[in-house]
Amino acid sequence: MTEEERDRLAGEHVLGLLEGEAAAAAERLAERDPDFAAAVALWRARFFELDLTASPERPPAALWQRIEAGIAAPAAAPARPVRRAAAWGALWDSLAFWRIAGLGTAAASILLALGLATLWQQRATTPVLVAVLLTDDRRAGAVVNAFADGRTELLPLGDIPVPPGRALEIWTLWDRARGPVSVGLIDRARTVRLRVDDLPRARPDQLFEITLEPATGSPIGRPTGPVLMKGTASRAL
Amino acid sequence: MVTGDAGERSAPGDLAAALRRCAGGDRAALQAIYDAEAPRMLGVALRLLHRRALAEEVVHEAFLRIWQRAGSYQPSRGDARGWIYAILRNLALNMLRSEGRVDLVDDFGPMELASEEEGPESIVMRLSEGSRLRRCLEGLDAVRRQAVVLAYVQGLTHGELAGRLGVPLGTVKSWIRRSLLALRECMA
Repeated sequence: MTEEERDRLAGEHVLGLLEGEAAAAAERLAERDPDFAAAVALWRARFFELDLTASPERPPAALWQRIEAGIAAPAAAPARPVRRAAAWGALWDSLAFWRIAGLGTAAASILLALGLATLWQQRATTPVLVAVLLTDDRRAGAVVNAFADGRTELLPLGDIPVPPGRALEIWTLWDRARGPVSVGLIDRARTVRLRVDDLPRARPDQLFEITLEPATGSPIGRPTGPVLMKGTASRAL
Repeated sequence: MVTGDAGERSAPGDLAAALRRCAGGDRAALQAIYDAEAPRMLGVALRLLHRRALAEEVVHEAFLRIWQRAGSYQPSRGDARGWIYAILRNLALNMLRSEGRVDLVDDFGPMELASEEEGPESIVMRLSEGSRLRRCLEGLDAVRRQAVVLAYVQGLTHGELAGRLGVPLGTVKSWIRRSLLALRECMA
């Protein structure tokens, strides 16, 4: 790659014009090629001022709380000096002991892994919460399944007519103060995994609904179109 | 590095120091960065993603990454604020690309655009008078300037730019290439 090509790639990368594999390749190149990384840094510096033209938006108070909760994951417990008796000391230093202990631990790890895998499959395939979304005429139009690992999916039960230029947006209401939050946008009725990773786990009576919105989703982050169906979550047995 | 006017909310040195403190596990330092930058970051994410819930999600994720990666920030490779916004922009662009918005060009009529968003020309006018970027952007043909600004600010792809500006894909690509060359020379 010539210097000029490399600089162009860096510029297009910073403009956000690279997609998919090209974008990933540029990221990798920036990690191992210091010259490319420098070119990227230079383009970032050149364009950065444009970011400052964005109007500041006041974030909801809950946003910082979520970030704080996210970084509060328990840190490694501080190392505590272990007091050990002389006999323990000898055992501790004995190679034979560790060989046997090692085998035992390995066997236990395998059992634990098998157990966890089985448990995981059960947890992953059986929803813990189900919401049946009903249309105005009380017809079941779709089901929302929430699994123990937090994965949540929408399963339409039939076709949902979508006019051209419009899309189906899926919302959930977990906090009345915050209002409905968009968890998915689909162009037609199809099974879709809902984007709930940053929301608290779904709970019983949590409302899910589908509205008709512009193709790119509601422009204001709140439902604007007619509610096509809605329902609340119940615990699955 | 940055000559933005109203945008200056915290001195670059403060942010670099705050990142060092984050790397040392100081949560108050992360909160200081949040207080200084989160509103602007949310504004940047909103311009790219259009939807508030998604923009908030990206800012959330960006702060988790800033916290995790603060130790890898190297002042020699650019200023702290640029580093923070690069994290935000990458996350937002990834989300934008994974949204499957291939229909955007067709569905995004000009009327919607006018009512909802600030056009590229007025964004350029928001750059400070003495800004070199502004002077250099103003040196480009209007339509090329719009292509560059729309790509950066709204995250439009080559194809989306072609649709929005009503020209063939190859034309957009060559506009961008030449604009990058001209900007690079002008800003040297």
